[in-house]
Amino acid sequence: MSVEKLASELEVVLTKRIQSDQLVLPTMPAVALQVQAILKDPDAGMKEVATALEKDPVLSARALRMATSAAFAAGGKKATLQEALARLGTKTIKGLLVEAAAQKLFVSKNPQINEQLKVLWEHSVAVGVMARDVLALTGAPESEGAYLAGLLHDVGKPVVATMLLELERQLTEVYQRNWIDSGEWLEVIAKVHRPVGVALAERWQLPPSIVACIKESQEYDKAERNSFANAVCFSNALAKKSGVYAGHVDAEDNDAIIMIGRSVIGISDDILRTLTKGLRERVSGLYD
Amino acid sequence: MPAILTVDDSRAVRTIVGKQVRELGFDVLEAEDGIQGLQVLSESSVDLVLLDVTMPNMDGPTMLQKMREGGNKTPVIMLTSESKRTIVAGAMKQGINDYILKPFKPEELRAKVLSVLQGEPGADSIGSDAAPAPTAAETAATVAPSSGPATTPAGGRFCDVLVVDDMENVHKKLRSMLPPHVSLNAYTSAAQALAACREKVFKVVLIDTEIPDVNSTVLAQQVRVLQPHAAILALSLRTANDAAGEVKDQGFDSVLFKPFRPETIDDFMQAYFDNQDFLQVEDNVLKMAPFTGKADRVDRFFRQLHAVYREALEKVAAACYDEVVLDLGSPPGEADKLAKFVIEVAERSKEFGMTLSLVGPEPARKAMAGFTETKELRFFPSVQEARAGG
Repeated sequence: MSVEKLASELEVVLTKRIQSDQLVLPTMPAVALQVQAILKDPDAGMKEVATALEKDPVLSARALRMATSAAFAAGGKKATLQEALARLGTKTIKGLLVEAAAQKLFVSKNPQINEQLKVLWEHSVAVGVMARDVLALTGAPESEGAYLAGLLHDVGKPVVATMLLELERQLTEVYQRNWIDSGEWLEVIAKVHRPVGVALAERWQLPPSIVACIKESQEYDKAERNSFANAVCFSNALAKKSGVYAGHVDAEDNDAIIMIGRSVIGISDDILRTLTKGLRERVSGLYD
Repeated sequence: MPAILTVDDSRAVRTIVGKQVRELGFDVLEAEDGIQGLQVLSESSVDLVLLDVTMPNMDGPTMLQKMREGGNKTPVIMLTSESKRTIVAGAMKQGINDYILKPFKPEELRAKVLSVLQGEPGADSIGSDAAPAPTAAETAATVAPSSGPATTPAGGRFCDVLVVDDMENVHKKLRSMLPPHVSLNAYTSAAQALAACREKVFKVVLIDTEIPDVNSTVLAQQVRVLQPHAAILALSLRTANDAAGEVKDQGFDSVLFKPFRPETIDDFMQAYFDNQDFLQVEDNVLKMAPFTGKADRVDRFFRQLHAVYREALEKVAAACYDEVVLDLGSPPGEADKLAKFVIEVAERSKEFGMTLSLVGPEPARKAMAGFTETKELRFFPSVQEARAGG
């Protein structure tokens, strides 16, 4: 089966399942959902958040590690989970929950796709970091949320990857047919992941500004130049140009996105060179 | 004088662009569409074309294509409200040099026009580690208008210290403990600090590590992009752990502990401001910095003075003064070390054909009177009197 045909058939299947609400999507971990609900409650305090988060040792450890890092309190002071959460603040905790949940999607027991997911995650981190910094350095009023937007822009890819893996197993077992190679595999995912990502983001009740980043990453919104979607579109192209990407890149198309983005967002080439220098090194090894 | 052709069907755009370009010192030619544009190119020497996309009679991409087919390689900046990547990608294939989206800021137009005419690499070098990254010196030398649109600090005002801390009392305390000649800008939010970093050049940036909802490591990285020459320090509470080591791992250069203590501020001053202020030159007056440090810093204080006074004297001699005045300010109490320094300055002044006068407080006068080599030097209580006496 050709890549085009497989992608097209998969797209039809996915669209039908999404429309009929039959697409099985990964859920946000229960603890994360519970913490999110507590954070929305104006009467609840960090004590309640800590009590809920304690049930997930990995998430608790992540919050503690972040709060005691130099980034939030130099000196690595010992802190209880409640103190750590208070230090991080509501916005950071929410981001941490979504990031942790998303990262879980980029892990597979199958070594064949795990390696590809690792590169996909590094690309997502690179786009998140770039989007946040690009907005911050151009004076956009809100930049911190762009990190999460960039991080999640390809969140549909691991979901589609898992579906493809299942499809591959069925086809090779039943029909004894050869499966597509890894390059074609990535191409199929790239063609169909967006609606799945949007469905997932909506299921996770992510804000519309993040859903917009997953929906569109190829054109700019001229009306809102410093939007998350524009920053993610631009940063996605920059990460690809820097080689932090798995899959085929149309170099001419990508260069056009960068050339337009420089003007849309209003950033100087000097700053861009500094930001993109060593991007690959900065994001490699962030997969644990 | 270089000539720039602006091709746009909007008279208003041509007028605005023409004004901006003339202010840069270039001649301006105008055309309303691609047909007129090609006509102008055939009749005049043009160094750069600013080309709209959508125009009647002949649009921008068609004019560009005809230019290239006819062997015309004049640089082109696409200036348009069109942002579809397929159109821009097509224009890039035809060799456009840059792109500006309307509406645009005047500084973006100026920066890109100058950049293209100076043959700078533009977007081509972005994202490629193989491309030469600007050195710190190059970044600092990037002065407006050749810098990008309102993002580089160079060319802005200079300030010694930027402090970012959500507690205003920290700003006040630090201001009260730093010497008055050290300038300080203080902000409570990351956004304000980054805005300041786009406008000014700082020598040292201090970032609190506990600003609510601000990741100080990220902020430090962002500040470093805008202030490549600044030392970036974490402001942190004292702990038993290795805070200095930790903040270095996070990308800070060092740490300054809160609450501030005189000795830590003294260390801070020594680390970042000693060299520039030890001996200031104003006309024929060499003014020693007041000694405010701990007793064990006296030797270092004089070593610094010995290291910089020759250059200062050369400046005075080069301005053809016959007399040089050394203002001792508030020197340390060690009279022998002060005398040794004054003797050296006197001897060197003599070599330049200048006589040395001293200015300082009464204890310093008494100290100098106690040494054979310095007791004959003229001593005044103020610079004004020294000048009058000279």
